[in-house]
Amino acid sequence: MENAQLENFKLSTRFLDVTYVNNKTGAEVMALQNINLNIKDGEFICIVGPSGCGKTTFLNTVVGLLKPSKGEILLDQQKIDGPGKDRAMVFQNPSLLPWRTVLENVLYGVELLKQITAEKKKEAKGFIEMVGLKGYENHYPHELSGGMQQRVNLARALTVNPSLILLDEPFSALDAQTREFMQGELLRIWDETKKTSLFITHQIDEAVFLADRVFVFGARPGRVVEVVDVDIPRPRNLHVKRSPEFLEFVDHIWSIIEQESSKQGFDNIEK
Amino acid sequence: MTKGMIELTQSKQKIKKAKKMKKEKKSFFISVASVLLFLLLWETASQNEWINPLFISSPIEIAQAAVLMVQEVSFWENMKVSGYEFVSGFVLAILIGIPIGVLSGWNSTFNAVVNPFISGLYVTPKVALLPVIIIAFGIGPASKIVIVFLMAFFPIVMSAQKAMLTLDQNLIKAARTFSASEFQIFKTIALPSTVPFLLNGIRLGIGQGLIAVVVGELFASTAGIGYQLTSNGQNLQTDRMFVGVLVITITGIILTSLLGIIERRFSSWKPENS
Repeated sequence: MENAQLENFKLSTRFLDVTYVNNKTGAEVMALQNINLNIKDGEFICIVGPSGCGKTTFLNTVVGLLKPSKGEILLDQQKIDGPGKDRAMVFQNPSLLPWRTVLENVLYGVELLKQITAEKKKEAKGFIEMVGLKGYENHYPHELSGGMQQRVNLARALTVNPSLILLDEPFSALDAQTREFMQGELLRIWDETKKTSLFITHQIDEAVFLADRVFVFGARPGRVVEVVDVDIPRPRNLHVKRSPEFLEFVDHIWSIIEQESSKQGFDNIEK
Repeated sequence: MTKGMIELTQSKQKIKKAKKMKKEKKSFFISVASVLLFLLLWETASQNEWINPLFISSPIEIAQAAVLMVQEVSFWENMKVSGYEFVSGFVLAILIGIPIGVLSGWNSTFNAVVNPFISGLYVTPKVALLPVIIIAFGIGPASKIVIVFLMAFFPIVMSAQKAMLTLDQNLIKAARTFSASEFQIFKTIALPSTVPFLLNGIRLGIGQGLIAVVVGELFASTAGIGYQLTSNGQNLQTDRMFVGVLVITITGIILTSLLGIIERRFSSWKPENS
């Protein structure tokens, strides 16, 4: 937990509670309780934690799909109230329109925001190239592999030019090798765009590799248990994953999660 | 992805396509041979009177009758009448069925209003309504248009409804994160999603519509292909009757092939695996 200072944070959450009603039991569930976080401009933040700890709920609230039941979220000191062009999300499922080409899909976000211009079209092509898909502008999603589709997904979010990019386990559906490759690619792209990013993952090594800081969430109720500063220097390449300090971070975070999970009494923890 | 890799995957796809076309050609020739064999058997059966030729006619007799009929004015008059009945009823089914199907799938209030009638009428045998329709609309083309409409309407409206009920929720969720309005979701996600379902519904509608023409004319009419083939059948002029049947079959094949072409044009984005 961090103290809110007079510093200008990119994203702040204050005393944030999010509850929802369980459809089956009708009971109110507190998904997130008293979340107080401050994120600086340009930071890459990863969120990890056991299942049910509210990571996705948190992201959905920041992007505006859910409303807080208490507290507020500030982006660039403005209160967030629903979705907006200042935030874009990359889902685990590529969610591309199958009847549209790559270029049309990349422009879909700005199209919905009613901001299509010739300039934006050029930018979209630029992002397609940045994510490594130059030459595929007129291909259809079914012609692309899972990793390529996710890159289109990312290009779509970047084209909107948001202040904040949210990524909800974007690589979980990919095979292990593609996943490693995409982690490296993501850092390369992030380096070029310097977007403030919130990234959820179940894989701790992925979190440590990508992040400036890792927020470890705990479950029932969802809350921040610890914030880990990953001071491994940048730029990072995939070899860094084998270094001793890297493994120390992973181990440390893993122990926190283990502790949290055993407090809840579950034995099966998803890694 | 390098240019070399793009070219490699493209040439792999070309080889796949060539193999597929070769296989399709082979299948086509086997089908043609199968039909020819059947016609041969039929002709032989008729010649040797294994079955009464009066009932089954024979390919040669049917061909002869066809040659004669094509020169008869009445034949073309009947074609015009049936054609007019089918097209009018079918176009009505499309113009009314698609909007109703789409709207009732999208809006639950509208659905609550119309669905009892759609579901109820769907399971009602339309042929049971024939006497009423004939009395109300007469024995001219109007009553047949109504029947064609009634029978083609249901596959179309229900395919539209189904499409709206099986929208990809992932797409909708993603659109919402980009501040999409309900109308934008309807226009950019829901409507395009209905196309493959609708094309299928239209295909079924064609089949139902053709049946409707024949049944309607069979029941009460003074002209049309259905009328003609029925009276030929009753007079045991089975060769002429089969010509009538063939006309309808060939019409069905042409229409569904046309639909197939439209479908391929609109489905270029689909995965090519069969």
